[in-house]
Amino acid sequence: MAHVVFSVGNEGRQVFWNADYFEPILFLLSAFALTIFAYGVYRRWQLWVALGRPELRTDRLGKRMNALLMNGFIQWKTFRDPYPGIMHGLIFFGFFVLFFGAAFDATEFHIAEPLGWAFLRGTFYLVFSFLMDLFGLAVLIGGLLAIYRRYVQRPDRLGYQGKPDNTLDDAIALLLILGIIVTGFVVEALRIHVTRPPWEVWSFVGWFLAKAFTGVDPVQAKTLHKITWWIHTFVSLGFIAYIPYSRLLHIITTPANHFMVSLKPAGYSEPIRNFETAESFGVGKLEEFTKKQIFDSDACTRCGRCQDGCPAYLSGKPLSPKKVIQDLKTYWLEMAPAAVAAKKEAGCIAAEPGGKPGKKNILLKALDRMDAAVDTVVKGTTPGAAPAEKAMVGGVIDLHELWACTNCMYCMEHCSSSIEHIPKIVGMRQYKVLTEADFAPELQLTYRNMENNSNPWGIGAHLRADWAKDLGIKTLAEDPDVEYLFYVGCSGSFDDRGKKVSAALAKILKAAGVSFGILGTQEGCCGDSAMRGGNEYLYQTLAQANIEIMKNYNVKKIIATCPHGYNALKKDYPHFGGEFEVWHHTEIIADLIAKDKIALKKPVEGLFTYHDSCFLGRYNEIYDPPRRVLAAVPGLKLTEMERNLARSFCCGAGGARMWMEEDIGERINNMRTDQAIATGADRIAVGCPFCLTMLADGIKDRKKEETMAALDIAEIVWKAMDLEEEKPVGEVCAAPSAS
Amino acid sequence: MNIVACVKQVPDTEAQIKVKPDGSGIEEGGIKWVMNPYDEFGVEEALRLKEKNGGEVTIVSVGPQRAMETIRTALAMGADKGIHICDPAFDGADAYVTASALAAAIKAVPFDIVFCGQRAIDDDSAQVGAVLAELLGIPQVTVVTKFEFTDGAVKVIRPIEGAQLLIECPLPCVVTAQKGLNEPRYASLPGIMKAKKKPVEVKDAAVLGVSTEGKAKVARFVPPPARAAGKIICGDGTPEGKAAELAKLLREEAKVI
Repeated sequence: MAHVVFSVGNEGRQVFWNADYFEPILFLLSAFALTIFAYGVYRRWQLWVALGRPELRTDRLGKRMNALLMNGFIQWKTFRDPYPGIMHGLIFFGFFVLFFGAAFDATEFHIAEPLGWAFLRGTFYLVFSFLMDLFGLAVLIGGLLAIYRRYVQRPDRLGYQGKPDNTLDDAIALLLILGIIVTGFVVEALRIHVTRPPWEVWSFVGWFLAKAFTGVDPVQAKTLHKITWWIHTFVSLGFIAYIPYSRLLHIITTPANHFMVSLKPAGYSEPIRNFETAESFGVGKLEEFTKKQIFDSDACTRCGRCQDGCPAYLSGKPLSPKKVIQDLKTYWLEMAPAAVAAKKEAGCIAAEPGGKPGKKNILLKALDRMDAAVDTVVKGTTPGAAPAEKAMVGGVIDLHELWACTNCMYCMEHCSSSIEHIPKIVGMRQYKVLTEADFAPELQLTYRNMENNSNPWGIGAHLRADWAKDLGIKTLAEDPDVEYLFYVGCSGSFDDRGKKVSAALAKILKAAGVSFGILGTQEGCCGDSAMRGGNEYLYQTLAQANIEIMKNYNVKKIIATCPHGYNALKKDYPHFGGEFEVWHHTEIIADLIAKDKIALKKPVEGLFTYHDSCFLGRYNEIYDPPRRVLAAVPGLKLTEMERNLARSFCCGAGGARMWMEEDIGERINNMRTDQAIATGADRIAVGCPFCLTMLADGIKDRKKEETMAALDIAEIVWKAMDLEEEKPVGEVCAAPSAS
Repeated sequence: MNIVACVKQVPDTEAQIKVKPDGSGIEEGGIKWVMNPYDEFGVEEALRLKEKNGGEVTIVSVGPQRAMETIRTALAMGADKGIHICDPAFDGADAYVTASALAAAIKAVPFDIVFCGQRAIDDDSAQVGAVLAELLGIPQVTVVTKFEFTDGAVKVIRPIEGAQLLIECPLPCVVTAQKGLNEPRYASLPGIMKAKKKPVEVKDAAVLGVSTEGKAKVARFVPPPARAAGKIICGDGTPEGKAAELAKLLREEAKVI
């Protein structure tokens, strides 16, 4: 080993100082740790691919690499939550730099130095030393923040219903992280204490720590250094070996999951296409999920971001998106080994008739034998013993959990591992509804109503256009030469409150000179509640009927008032050949204001707060147009709720919950109303008829109807346009004669 | 056990009913046709009985071609086969003719029990079940809200004003279903798909050998009179005045006090 002379001007790291003659042992140990790591990943790989349908998640590489960079590396989603974001960032980026630092060290020592190409020298080395200490300190702080958070602060989301779900694994992972850093700094401090290089301050943590060893005999310090160095090495290699067997596996699975992110519209579920031939629909068994859906559960870090804003969870229902994913993970880990064993068996049998037994290559055979041996040692059982049969839907996932979901998209929006919860929920609901026909009676009634009268209330379909009777609105049958189809939707057509919103919008459009028409009684339910409630068959029937009629009239552009219809028409109908340009009425109104097509002159009194509807906000990123409209209303004061924009709290009506009883926990609409009340606002502005109903109900329930009201953006705008002749209210009889 | 359930296709309860200008019937265009809700209770009970005791459920319906959809609906719920009595001669058939056709079809198959709805929501005659039992020469228990089958006999509850009758009846018999008997199931998708392939026999009057001559004839359909607009009582504006005016109008115009 070449001895390098270190001096000022030739500063350099005394790499492996005091430990160089352990090199062979170190190599062996490293190889051992890496083998354990690699074997663990191989074992896991077998489980990942054991069950589930295939799904293409390797297309559009550019987008996927971008997702990997933004969420896997830069961790944009993780940073959305400051404390845990910074905590994780410190650990992640710290380790990232340390990892490369260690790689530099190894390269320097084993390759560069012997070849005389030493590069950890001079200023570069000093900066390098400084950065290594800085990022080591970052990991230390991050680790301490994590311990504080998990064991002292104990936020609800690191648990379920008030009980922390900490495991031994969590503690081991944190101890390993801290262990690496602490021993690393101690090693550094001892080295500095003994060698005292002139540039010692650059390794500022070690230098500072070295003061603690003041007065320690250099020979003793050297021994102590050696011991600590070995501990540091063991802990570091142990960390690597431990990765595939622990929560640390997310270092691999989470970025992989970001790479395999869904590039389809938010909440997209693959449409069922084989109604005529399939025996079972939706997801009733684990293997009916796709492999990617199963892999999701292994990318979950139990961080609980999903749970933090889940309206079902926060209102006291048994559903927690985290729990669903974790329960599926547990179930998968129970089921997958048997599937792996079955696959191996099938592989052997397939090899037999080929004539040459053992066609599998030697490496695979060796691995198979190793697997069997490990299984026997670890479990003490024969490999692949079938686990006890238990129903996934209704067993692993409780039906109350399954049906509590409002499809609000909070979980998926905020998941820092790109896990897709909602398609799983919808898939399992499809199984309950289509295959088993076992679901809530009130939802059965809703579906019958949608079947018979194409609206969830079951009001006669012939009454669909009655709201428009006196407004002089033409149907496309009367005049198909219009720019926009106003797709009114069921609420806008049948619900008394919704009808007023439809009328307000129609009047605005007329006043602005927008050319539009309606489908009248030819319009049908958009089917959103059917789809989200698992009745894909009914949904497709309704969607196809609408698409057909819209195509008949050669519809190009559509305005929708209901975000559920808006989302269905815009994002889902294209899968059935319905390609339209779809606008939400708040977008249209914002545009009319911007182009001075309508004038808002009358001041609107009241302090407003705007409620972001899930299907506008998180599903379609329409956050700004409604706010722009409100800002344009003279005299209107706007305040924001704490949970707004992408963090908005669902009104409770999505995912077919609008039509279901809510008998567990607090009512979600009341909680949202309370959040609005807390702002001091006396008006809640919305852009969704479901939200309007839910919040109006909440206001009633909170006995605030005297002082508060929920209003649609269209109603507010129409009022501000001041074109309505004021009709005296309650003035049917002449005023009582004075007496 | 051989179970028969009779069903009728009727307009959806929310459908807009328009009488033809000549009063010969109703305009059928735009009407959504559904299974008579009371018959649905009967089908559901038939299916539950089958699920408990084994056997087969046969659906029988008198109606035009479109009634086949209703038979398929019952098959989708889980019934095994159907008999569609389809003959233009049965159009506008009265309860007696309908019951005769049903009886003829049912006699041709083995049966232990026959379920009907207590009435159809379109003509509200509430006779077919009773006449059918008479024509089959078997007992009937009608307007049933609870049904039980034990030890080879039927036990039912029939609500009457202020009380409930518990009635026991031997097989074979006719049971007519009232609301409250059960919650009819939602057909599963595999059920709907399988229903398309289940056997349905189509029979006409000649095959059944029944007369299509009815005992009652609908003379004319007349829509109910349009509801008159409400009246707002103003009086002289005072509560007393309004009350006095109301009393006067109730006595002199409405003639109810």
